[in-house]
Amino acid sequence: MTAALLFAQVEKVATPKLDWAATAPLLILCGAALLLLLISSLTTSRPARGTYAVITVLASAFAIGTAGVLWARVTDAERGAFTTAAGALTVDGFSVFFIVVISLGIALSALLADDYLRRENLDGPELYVLMLLSGAGGIVMAMANDLIVVFLGLETLSIALYVMAGFNRRRAESRESAMKYFVLGAFSSAFLLYGIAFIYGATGSTNLGDIAGFLNANTLEHTGLLLGGFALLLVGFGFKASAVPFHVWTPDVYQGAPTPVTAFMASASKAAAFAALLRVFVSTFAEYRLDWQPLIWGIAVLTLVVGSVLAIVQTDVKRMMAYSSISHAGFILVGVQAATAQGVSAALFYVLSYTFMIVGTFGVATLVSGKGDEHHGLEAYRGLSRRRPGLALTFTVFLLAQAGVPLTSGFLAKFYVIGAAVDAHSYALALIAMLSSVVSAFLYLRIVVAMYMTDEEGAEPGPRVRVPLGAGVALGLAVAFTVVVGILPQQVVHWADRAIPVVLASGR
Amino acid sequence: MFAADPLFSTGIDFGVVLIALAKSIIGFLFVLIGVIFMIWFERKLIADFQNRIGPNRAGPWGMLQTLADGIKLIFKEDLRPDGSDSLVFRLAPYLSVVPAFLTFTIVPIGGIFTGAHQGTVHLFGHDTFLQVADPPIGVLFLLAMSSIGIYGAMLAGWASGSKYPLLGSVRASASMISYEAALGLSVVSVVLMSGSLTTHDIVAAQASGGSILDWNIVVTAFVPFVVFCIAATAELNRPPFDFAEAEQELVGGFHTEYSSMRFGMFYLAEFMNTITMSAIIVTLFLGGPSGPIGPGPDQVWPFFWFLLKLLVFLAAFVWVRGTVPRYRYDQLMDLGWKRLIPISLMWLLFIAGIRIGRDQNWSPVLVPLAAIGLGALTVGLLAGSMRTAAIRREQSDEDDLGEVSA
Amino acid sequence: MIAQNIAFGILAASSVLAAIRMVTTKNVVHAALYLVVVLGSVAANYILLAAEFVAVVQLLVYIGAIVVLFLFGVMLTRAKLGHEGELDNDQRGLAAVTALLILGILGYVLVDYFGDDKLPQLNRTHEQLNATRGTGAVGNAIFSTYLIPFEVVSVLLLAALVGAIVLARRD
Repeated sequence: MTAALLFAQVEKVATPKLDWAATAPLLILCGAALLLLLISSLTTSRPARGTYAVITVLASAFAIGTAGVLWARVTDAERGAFTTAAGALTVDGFSVFFIVVISLGIALSALLADDYLRRENLDGPELYVLMLLSGAGGIVMAMANDLIVVFLGLETLSIALYVMAGFNRRRAESRESAMKYFVLGAFSSAFLLYGIAFIYGATGSTNLGDIAGFLNANTLEHTGLLLGGFALLLVGFGFKASAVPFHVWTPDVYQGAPTPVTAFMASASKAAAFAALLRVFVSTFAEYRLDWQPLIWGIAVLTLVVGSVLAIVQTDVKRMMAYSSISHAGFILVGVQAATAQGVSAALFYVLSYTFMIVGTFGVATLVSGKGDEHHGLEAYRGLSRRRPGLALTFTVFLLAQAGVPLTSGFLAKFYVIGAAVDAHSYALALIAMLSSVVSAFLYLRIVVAMYMTDEEGAEPGPRVRVPLGAGVALGLAVAFTVVVGILPQQVVHWADRAIPVVLASGR
Repeated sequence: MFAADPLFSTGIDFGVVLIALAKSIIGFLFVLIGVIFMIWFERKLIADFQNRIGPNRAGPWGMLQTLADGIKLIFKEDLRPDGSDSLVFRLAPYLSVVPAFLTFTIVPIGGIFTGAHQGTVHLFGHDTFLQVADPPIGVLFLLAMSSIGIYGAMLAGWASGSKYPLLGSVRASASMISYEAALGLSVVSVVLMSGSLTTHDIVAAQASGGSILDWNIVVTAFVPFVVFCIAATAELNRPPFDFAEAEQELVGGFHTEYSSMRFGMFYLAEFMNTITMSAIIVTLFLGGPSGPIGPGPDQVWPFFWFLLKLLVFLAAFVWVRGTVPRYRYDQLMDLGWKRLIPISLMWLLFIAGIRIGRDQNWSPVLVPLAAIGLGALTVGLLAGSMRTAAIRREQSDEDDLGEVSA
Repeated sequence: MIAQNIAFGILAASSVLAAIRMVTTKNVVHAALYLVVVLGSVAANYILLAAEFVAVVQLLVYIGAIVVLFLFGVMLTRAKLGHEGELDNDQRGLAAVTALLILGILGYVLVDYFGDDKLPQLNRTHEQLNATRGTGAVGNAIFSTYLIPFEVVSVLLLAALVGAIVLARRD
């Protein structure tokens, strides 16, 4: 009866065509998050150990699987890249590459989180839920073909991260880091939004394809608005990528956040920030390259120098890694600054290998820190080679890779990035990058020395370190990738080369 | 069929301004006189419920009692507590009254909606709607005003600088915030069915068929109506949800420290809100001023129907107040968050699903069946998770007790 | 156009004054109320631009929800009357310099780009305006061009919801 009396109105909304295969990775991650919530809200007894982590890892694996299917489609010469949902998302090699990177970040961090949560008595699905949603936000950022979508992806990524940073409510540092991250993050989001408004004002669109089209077709008489937009966007992205001078939150938050969350922050969140930076600046604003390159140049130099120099004076390993992650951001920026296809693919290679290195590093830190997530000082690592030789060796691999020692992926990553800078005639930047790499090598060697060379008798013995299954798998994968790619990089380089972002006008 | 107020279609001249002004004044007076009547009506009716006589001195049947009370309030001394915040203390009563007035501006109080009239009347050479304003955002204005109305209660309690008013205002604003969601969701069902946000079009859509079956109360199948009425009662802080001014617990609620005309304004706002909310219910669900046109001057009939429907709701509010005992604070929150919001959300999705099915020419049998199936699944999941939460809470309470005793 | 300009002038002045009072006032609740004035002026500006839907959403979301929750939080935690001493900190000079700098740059950039450009006069009727930027037009845009942003917002809200419960839950 009700249905018959509905008041008829004929006008229909022209809903855009949605490519389900293209959004499948996103749907899988969000669906898994909902599934986790559903399971936990319907079961009264605690599920079997590791259930949540396994679901999370499976979801990421599925996402990577669908990304593989997409990869075959977008690298096929006949079909190529495309946009979907009224030009809001781009599906090209670049987005697929970042879907894989971010999903890997989720999976590896979830493996680390499993034991950590049990150890800290924080059992529950929420951390995984937030991780999945945050990762979905990061993927949205990487796929976005519209500045509004970039912003929303960034916010989804960030809001989940703010909470994750404060997840260990019993630790005051964790709560403090969440607060700090939240306040500064909200501030930087405001800058990003302002930048989007400026770009919209200057070009009349928020769609990246339309912006690029506009900039190619028109010459702006007054570029102030556009350049102001560039600067504000850079603040927003630079904050997430923890580039100097927008890095001040990084040490405190990396140190205070639960260590698996720090791993996620340094891998997935940083990757997403660089994805947006690369797509928006290198591809969309390619026409105005000469205007933004100096900005990035300055930021890259500052980031490299500040990151490596300040890392040396730290005594807390997590804090050291925070500063070292800043200097790594500087290296990736060197690739961005080149603004060439070679630079982009070098940056992509760097992001992928850094994901494995940093998750492995923080993975070891998770294990060494012991119950309460407390032992992060250098003294906790003293004599680790005697107590857990395997773990010490693993950690050494990650540290050497970060330092850029040959036969690791880290060396090649730095090599490609600097090579791209040289080919783009940024000799000074290449030189500074090399020097800062030398400076920061000192830092990594310091930890290695602490593990191997120090006599344990004088120092008080650190906590007992045990390696649970999940973390072991994550560390094993990370070591394998770092070493294998360090020796045989061709396949990954090939992928990175084919993952250059394309900018497509909406409606195509 | 949908159109904006024709008053402004021919440009703005002196007559148009005059009509707009006259409409504002009439609307203002309507609510003011309505309040005077409503206070007397409520007191008289409550008295009847309680076997008392009620006001019977001033005027015939005590009808002028309200006026006398009002005059008394004006001449009372205006007190402001020492510890109060002077600016906010003086501001709060106005923040209560103004939204109450403004909401009434979107209520069509007359006009024939069938045939060629389209709800317009002819005044001084101009066609116009019988409502002060017909903004294109329509019912959203209602929601905006009701959320602004929270400020009055909230700030009054805070600015008094004393404990009971603060508690009263926290309670009042908590209940208003909680029930706004259910209120909004049930309004969305109405908007979905009428296909427009403006109150005029909503009434026109209900009057189009000329039958009572076209009223939104039937078209949306009663559930949104019931939810709206309950949520409106909570939104008004009226009994049985009047714990914001529960005399036994909080002296007088957020306006304990107010006296004289400032108190009078809160009192005014309270009754004005009751009238306005009833008028909104009539507009959204009961076809507003639509009804059969009898003999005599035809423009009088819609106004008569509107008043009649309004009166039914006013009486119902008083009746509820006279009979239903007051809820407890946590019961109110449970009812709002765990019952009304899920119900109205589900009903909205249900209606939306059926509408889409109709628009797309899907099977008229399968779509409702699938919707009911999905609805049952949702209810099951919701009930399951609520049960789980209850069990968990018990467990953790036991754990806490265990820890304390150990 | 003159009427619009006068209205805009009044709104702009009131929002700027309220914004300044908001950061200088010594009372948290007063600050929140000045914020209401700022947000209200913005909503009124939307009405000047004939975007009623955006205006009322601004009212509903910012004034009706966000500031109400601000006040609610303030009242439940630190509802002090009168002046509060510790609302300021040493960095206010620096903050003022930064704010002025940003104001200068943004102002320059906007003036540089738009100069004294005028909005094109649209001689459209009420109905035509509604068709292009009324509520219906907003709804159409949300479910066509901005479908993905709309869906992503729901994920964002889910994350915020879970996060709020995580942070608020007691052990």
